[in-house]
Amino acid sequence: MQNMKDTFYITLRDRISAINPARLVLVRGESRPAVVVEENELPSSFDHNETYVLRWTETKLDTGGPLPLVVMRCEIRYETAGNFGNGGMDRGRILSVMDAELAAAINTSPQRAAKTNFANTAAMQTNIFWSDVAFAPEQTINERLSRTVTVEVFSYQEAGER
Amino acid sequence: MADLDRNAEAARGAIRLVDTLLRNARSRTVMLRIPAPAIAGDNAEQLGLATPLFQDVELTPAIFRTASAKVAKDGSTQRELLLSATTVEALTGSHNFASANTLFSTATGILVDDTLLIILSAEEVEAGGIICGYRLSLREAPRTN
Repeated sequence: MQNMKDTFYITLRDRISAINPARLVLVRGESRPAVVVEENELPSSFDHNETYVLRWTETKLDTGGPLPLVVMRCEIRYETAGNFGNGGMDRGRILSVMDAELAAAINTSPQRAAKTNFANTAAMQTNIFWSDVAFAPEQTINERLSRTVTVEVFSYQEAGER
Repeated sequence: MADLDRNAEAARGAIRLVDTLLRNARSRTVMLRIPAPAIAGDNAEQLGLATPLFQDVELTPAIFRTASAKVAKDGSTQRELLLSATTVEALTGSHNFASANTLFSTATGILVDDTLLIILSAEEVEAGGIICGYRLSLREAPRTN
């Protein structure tokens, strides 16, 4: 399951970076593509503004086939306060751009990637694959607009894989 | 110009006053745990495979406001810690943080003896528009029993 989570994150991060190289976030003094996995970061807060934050929620295991099929739900949350130079009046436009970039990264074919074990950077025998994004209604919290989208990610559990 | 000089002198006075109060009110030393800067482009760190190094930096004088301790429903205790602005500003400058808020939001927590407390929020304590200290809201880990 961990390999599936890692592969999905790296694939999404690289696709977002290719679509918009300027979408960056500063984490502990280093600039990197603005896609982070909540559970891999320090519990202390950092600025989530205009950053895709991944959270893994539900997990299902279907053992009916020759290989167990793992289905995990990934929630991706992002928010924006708009551009300070514009008094935040462009926050709706920025959120729309973030919607479009995420949809392009996830819904573009192929919706699969070769599963990789990043502990030893070895490609595995199966792929991960995922559904289209499902957009939840946008929410307004103070001056910030936010949205959560969900994606179902699938992977066959290989022998010896955890 | 004379007004500016008077304001600057008043600011220094207020800060000295708070520093003296903190030192003489059963202050103690706590440690601020700061992670090392991230390694650029390192997949292992972004995937949680590698953890950053941590550095413990001394913060003194510091005072816990025992009267403000609150116990949440999950059994965790929230406490307030008062810190001198002089200490925080020296630390902010020496570690090249943009501001005290960046310093506290980057930190992993406050180490008190062997217990790591999570920083929930950091507020400036002002007197006459001058920052004299910082009030940190901390959370202890919930009790398991």
